[in-house]
Amino acid sequence: MNDAGAAAPAPARSGVPGPALRRASLLRSLRTPWPWLTLAVLALLVVFLLLPLVQVLVGSFGSGGRSGWAIVAAEPRYLQAVLNTVMLGAVVTLLALVIGVPLAWFTARFDFPGKGLIAVLPLVTLVVPEVIAAQTWLMMVGNNGLLTRALAERGIELPSFYGWTGLVTVMTFTYYTYVYIGTLAAIRGFDVQLEEAAQSLGTSPAVSRWKVMLPVVLPAVLASALLVFTLAVGNFAVAMVLSNKVPLLSVLTYQATVSEVGSDPTLQSTLATISVAIVMLALFAQRRVVARGRREVVQGRGAVPARLAGWRGAALGAAAALVVAVSLLPVASIAVGAFTQARGPVMRWGQWTTAHLERVFTRAIDPLLNTLTYAAIATAIGITLAVIVSYLVVKKRNALTPALDYLTALPLALSGTVIGIGLLMTFNTGWLSLTGTGSIIVLAYVVRRLPFGTRNASSTLFNIPDSIEEASISLGVPPGRSFVRVVLPLMAPAIVAAAVLTWTTTVAELSASIIVYSGGRETMPIQIFRLIDSGLMAQASAYGLLLVAVIVLPIVLATRLTRIDLFASRA
Amino acid sequence: MGSAAPEAPARTARPAAGAAAASPGIHIESLSVDYGAQAVIEALDLDIERGSFFTLLGPSGCGKTTLLRTIAGFVPARGGRIRFGERDVTALPPHLRDIGMVFQDYALFPDKTVFDNVAYGLRARRVDAAGVRRRVGEALERVGLAALAARLPAALSGGQRQRVALARALVIQPQVLLMDEPLSNLDAKLRLQVRQTIAELQAEAGITTVFVTHDQDEALALSHRIGVMNRGRLEQVGTPAEIYRRPATGYVADFVGAANLLPVTLARAAAAGETAQAVLAGGPGGAPTRLAALAVAALGAGEALLMARPETLRLAHADADAGAGAGAAALPVRVLRRQFLGDKTSYRVQLASGAELQVDRHGAGHDAHQVGDAALLAFDPTATLVLAR
Repeated sequence: MNDAGAAAPAPARSGVPGPALRRASLLRSLRTPWPWLTLAVLALLVVFLLLPLVQVLVGSFGSGGRSGWAIVAAEPRYLQAVLNTVMLGAVVTLLALVIGVPLAWFTARFDFPGKGLIAVLPLVTLVVPEVIAAQTWLMMVGNNGLLTRALAERGIELPSFYGWTGLVTVMTFTYYTYVYIGTLAAIRGFDVQLEEAAQSLGTSPAVSRWKVMLPVVLPAVLASALLVFTLAVGNFAVAMVLSNKVPLLSVLTYQATVSEVGSDPTLQSTLATISVAIVMLALFAQRRVVARGRREVVQGRGAVPARLAGWRGAALGAAAALVVAVSLLPVASIAVGAFTQARGPVMRWGQWTTAHLERVFTRAIDPLLNTLTYAAIATAIGITLAVIVSYLVVKKRNALTPALDYLTALPLALSGTVIGIGLLMTFNTGWLSLTGTGSIIVLAYVVRRLPFGTRNASSTLFNIPDSIEEASISLGVPPGRSFVRVVLPLMAPAIVAAAVLTWTTTVAELSASIIVYSGGRETMPIQIFRLIDSGLMAQASAYGLLLVAVIVLPIVLATRLTRIDLFASRA
Repeated sequence: MGSAAPEAPARTARPAAGAAAASPGIHIESLSVDYGAQAVIEALDLDIERGSFFTLLGPSGCGKTTLLRTIAGFVPARGGRIRFGERDVTALPPHLRDIGMVFQDYALFPDKTVFDNVAYGLRARRVDAAGVRRRVGEALERVGLAALAARLPAALSGGQRQRVALARALVIQPQVLLMDEPLSNLDAKLRLQVRQTIAELQAEAGITTVFVTHDQDEALALSHRIGVMNRGRLEQVGTPAEIYRRPATGYVADFVGAANLLPVTLARAAAAGETAQAVLAGGPGGAPTRLAALAVAALGAGEALLMARPETLRLAHADADAGAGAGAAALPVRVLRRQFLGDKTSYRVQLASGAELQVDRHGAGHDAHQVGDAALLAFDPTATLVLAR
C-alpha cells in the first residue's frame, strides 16, 4: 500500500512486475521458515555430496606431479578396462531388456498358469544383495560348484564361470527385474482406449500396438534400461568376485584406492571420473531419445488380461517359472551353503552342520552388530532428510528447490565406489576428519540411498492436495502444527515404505562402505566379500543367510502389520 | 463454554448465540495481489455487507479464487487493506483470521472420521470434550449427517463430503465463511441439493459469506450480491436482478445469462438511466434503424453496444401487422434454426445485415415459426440496453 508512492513517479499498473514488486515478494517469503530450511539442507548436500564429487573430479588432474589422465592414456590396461566396462554395461542392458520387457508384456496382458510366481520378482531384487548373487552362482557353477562337480562326474565339462560368462549371467539375472518393474508399470498405466481407437481407425492390432503403444511405453523402458546400464557399469560386488582376468573400471578403481603400496589418489580420481562420465553420457543419450517422443497419457482404462490356455499358456508359464527359479537360486543355495560342512574352501555337499552359524553368533558377531547399528542410524537420518526434502520440493517450492531436487537424485548416477572415494578424499583429514570412524560409513549409506526415500516420499506428497493443509490452517491450527497433525499421518505409510526400502538397500550396501570402512567396523556385506575372496563359501553363506534375514524381516513386518504396498511408488 | 475461543487475543468479545449479530462485514480497500511475480489483482475495492451472501463470479483465471485466498490469508497482499468489520486482517496469517473455509475438493482429512473432521477446529480451540460432542452433534444434525459420524470420508458420497466440510467450517462459528467453488465437483442433481443446504445454513447462521463460482445459475440463485470479475477487476457488483437485467458492460451481459450483443451507434450522448436512440444497421431494405434502448451508465455519442436478452425479443409473422407494440421498430429477419425445448422454443434468426440473434419465445404458439420463414423482430425498449463498446 505504501511502496508504490515511494518508488517511481508512475507506478506500474501494467501487470509486468517491476523490480520493486519482485523484491517485495522475496522479502515476504523470507519471513517463512521454508527458504531457510531449503538453504540448510542444500548446504548439507553441498558439503557431503557435491564437495566429494568435485574432489574426485578435480583430483584426477593430480596435484603438481602427474595427471591421472596421462597415466591412464599411457597404460593400455586402463583403456581396455573402459571398453570392457561399457561393453559389459551394454550387453547386460540388452539382455535385461530381452528378458524384462516380454515378461512385463505377458504379465500385463495375459493370464497363464503360474503367473502368480512372477509377482515375487520385485522382492527378489531387494532381498538378494549383489555380493550374495555372485557368491551363490559360484557355489553352483564355479570351479568347485555343486553343478560343476555333478556334471564333471558325468564327464561334462562346464566352461569356466569366471570372466565374461559369469559377469554377464549374474548381472543380467540381478538387474532384469528393474526393466520388468518399470515396463510393467508403464504398460499397466497405458490407456487401452488409445490402442482400441487406433484399431477402430483401421489399423491391425499388431500395427496399432506398435504405433500407439511403443512411443508411450518407450520412455519407461529406456529409463529402466539406463538404470540397468548405470548399475552394471558401477557394479562392484559381482565385478570383483567374477571378473578375474577381464579388467573392469570398478575393480581397477577399487584396487587403486586400497592398494597395499600406498593408494594413488590421482589414479583413483581419474578412474572414478571416467565412470561418472560414462553414466552421464548414457543419461544424456537417454534424455535425447525420450525428449524426442515425449507423450502424456491420461490415466485411462487398463487392459483386462487375456486368458492363455493350452500349450501356449503352458509354454509361457514354464518360461516364466524358469526365469523366477533362476532368480531365486541365490536364496535357495545360500540356505544350503550355510548348513553344509566345509574344510577350507572345499564344500562337502550333502554333509550338514550348524557350525558356521554358531561361529557367527559366538565368535564373530561384530559384522552383524555393525550392520544393524550403521544401517539403523543411516535409515533414520535418510528418512528424516527425505521427508524434509520432498516436502520442500513438492509443497514449498522456491528458487532453490530445483537444485535440491536435482542434488538428491544425483547419487542415482554415481556408483558406490565413486561416492566412497569422494567421501574418503574429502573427510580424510582437514576440518572434518571422519576416516576411521563409524560415521563415515553412516554418511556413505545416507548419501547413497537418499534418492530412494526422497522419491518415495515425494510421490505420496504429490497425492496429498494442498487444500487439506489449508483446511487445517483455516480451522485455526498454525502451519507447522498443521503439517504434523494432518500431512504427516497421511505420509506415514509412504514413510514406512521408504524406510523399509532404505533399510533393505542399506544393509546390503557394499561398494561405498568397503572403501571408507576401517578395521573392526566390517559390515556383513564386507565380511561376506572378504570370505568369498578367501574362498570360504560356507562361512560366507552363514553371513549371507543372516543378511537375507535382516532384509526380509522388516519387509514381512511392514507388509503384515501395515498392509503397505512397498512397490506402489517404485519405478 | 464454546464461546470462550481463547486463541485470538485481539478479538473483541462477541455474543455466543445469535451469530448473525457477530458476523462482521468484509471491507477491501485498494487491494493489490501478485501471484509469483505476476500482478493478478490491482487496486481492488469491495465492501461486503455483514451477514450477506456475496458471490465472486467469473471465468477461470479471472482472479476470483486469488481474491478469496487473499481474504483467507493464503495469498499475501502486496498493497491495500482487508478488514473484517473493524479488525484489520491484512497482515494476519490465515490461522489467526477466524475464517471458515470450504474447498472445491472438500479437503476432508481422509484418515479421520466424520466426527473427528468436524471436531478438529473445536479441539484446536481447546473446547472441552463435552462441548465438542455437543457442538459436533448439532453441526452434523444440521447438515443431516448425524448417522454417519463414525464413517471415514472415503465411505461418503461427494454431496455428503461437502456437507461434512460445511459442518466443519461452520462449527467453529467463524467470523466469515469462504467457499471456493464448493459445488463444482458434484453432479447436477447433488449440486442443487447441496446448494439448498448452503443457502439454508447461511441464512440460519447469518454469517458473512464469500462464495466463488464460475456457474451463473449458482450465483443468481444463492447470492444477495454478486461481483462479476474479469482479469483481476470487478466489472460490476450488484444484486442478481441488477446483474442480469442491467449489466454494466458487454462482458457481464455475455457472461451472466444469454445475451444478444449488436454494435450500434449513438447519435448523441446519453445520461445514465436515460432512454437513448441507438442506430442499428440492417433495418428494412438494409437501411439503418433507430431503436430505443436504456443507457445503464452515461455514454458518449458514437459507437456503442446494444444488449437484448433472448426472452425479451418478440417475433411476429412477416405478414402480420408489424409493430403492434407501442411504436417499437420491427426488423425483418429470417429464421435460421430452431430448437423446440418444451416450455419454449429457441430461435436463431438473421438480420438483413447478416448479424444473428437468439430469440426465446414462451407461451402459446411459441413454436409457430419454421426454419426458413421470414419474420419480424421487435425489441422491448424497457429491456434493451445500450452499453459502452
